[in-house]
Amino acid sequence: MAGTIRAQYPTTIRPIRVNCTARVTPSLIMRSIGNGADGVLVIG
Amino acid sequence: MLDVARNEKIRLFTYSEVSDISGYIGNFSVEITKKPRYVKDICNGCSACMDVCPAHGYNEFNLGLNPRPAIYISFPQAVPSLAQIDMDKCIKCGLCIEACELEAIDFDQKTEKINVEVGTISVATGWDEYIPEDGYLGYNKYDNVITQLQLERILAPNGPTMGQLVRPSDGKEPKRILFIQCVGSRDLNRNVYCSSGVCCMVSIKNSKLIKQHYPDADITVAYMDIRASGKYYEEYYTASRIAGVKYLRTNISRIEEVSETKNLKILVQDTLRESLGVQEMEFDLIILSAAMIPNYDILSLNKVLKLEVSPDGFFKETHARLEPINTKIPGISLAGVSQGPKSIAESIMQAGGSASSAGKLMTRKKYKIDLIIAEVDKEKCSKCGLCILNCSYNAINMTEDGAEVDEINCRGCGSCLSNCPSEAITLRYYRESHYEAQIDAILKEFEEVA
Repeated sequence: MAGTIRAQYPTTIRPIRVNCTARVTPSLIMRSIGNGADGVLVIG
Repeated sequence: MLDVARNEKIRLFTYSEVSDISGYIGNFSVEITKKPRYVKDICNGCSACMDVCPAHGYNEFNLGLNPRPAIYISFPQAVPSLAQIDMDKCIKCGLCIEACELEAIDFDQKTEKINVEVGTISVATGWDEYIPEDGYLGYNKYDNVITQLQLERILAPNGPTMGQLVRPSDGKEPKRILFIQCVGSRDLNRNVYCSSGVCCMVSIKNSKLIKQHYPDADITVAYMDIRASGKYYEEYYTASRIAGVKYLRTNISRIEEVSETKNLKILVQDTLRESLGVQEMEFDLIILSAAMIPNYDILSLNKVLKLEVSPDGFFKETHARLEPINTKIPGISLAGVSQGPKSIAESIMQAGGSASSAGKLMTRKKYKIDLIIAEVDKEKCSKCGLCILNCSYNAINMTEDGAEVDEINCRGCGSCLSNCPSEAITLRYYRESHYEAQIDAILKEFEEVA
């Protein structure tokens, strides 16, 4: 979507594709933040 | 419809509801609730009972324009042509029992449940007319404000007035008629969507029809935009202009009644002739061309169908442009207005597509499923049932040993596993460890850059 609407976003964002936003478990979010990520966006 | 009833390979259930659906593509089990008609199927529709019935009810087919007896045939071309009794209105006098030569009346009929096994399901629930709220544009407040469907019934040869155009307040023939388009559609506070030009074409059709029968009628159509996009539609529109129907581009917000004559007054500004300024106009009859909305019962039906519904209230297709017929549940397809407002021609096209989509699945006799599905580690499962509550596809069943995933219904979304407190569910090919590895690798890359 970001590509088709030509949206600009920071180069430090790394997307991880999931089947469904419901697939994202709390432990995955905690793991990212615990390992140094500044934030996690769950987008669907 | 008659052909459907006569076809040996089609089982037709009328006056019935789908009350439960279970199973999956190729093996759906559907429970149909057949409501009691209180008249046996041997009825030949002779209408002797209706002539003697002293009780009256609201005539649904004529939208309340005239009453009907408590024992009635729902509409003249009904298939099958069987009488039915409205038990809310019936006074149980028994006159119909005496009148019926076939002894078809049976007050003891009960609701029947029938189970049928089917491979695929086509949803063709159709539409209903938007009912403007009381007082909006004078609806249900002034006698001479009616909806487009009510006008259809008035103009119908088998309608309440035998096709005579009369207005409700005094039964006189109206001379000045106004159609108001986009009532309840293209309106941010009601329905945002356009009813696909259907109401435009119906107004054009009815205005032409009235003009043919009553050449001195003064007909005006108040519109936002005429959407005549279809084969011969623009020609049809032009023909109505040539026939003398006036088109007024405006947005009408208020109608007032003249108390003595029951005529209706509006203030309008034609946006294509602004130099004329605000004009006052008076009409004998106003027709509200109301939006097409999904069938009133769509939500109760969806309790068993469990399809996605789009924000406009119609059933959602897999993809609005690339897959407009199938739904996300394999084996269930959509036809006609159940998916979105459309004309008769478009509905027929989609119905054909829906039928062939079902035929394609059934003749192949094999169906490929995705392997991306949830798996339960039964040793870890605590049988709490949270996964069942979170599954949108009804794909999890609880057994004595723990939760069990139905491999055909599971769509691999993973909402069960993210809610599992025991971490007993994993998603094949998208396991937790895969994501953990991705996260770790990404964050490591950042560390190296820093």
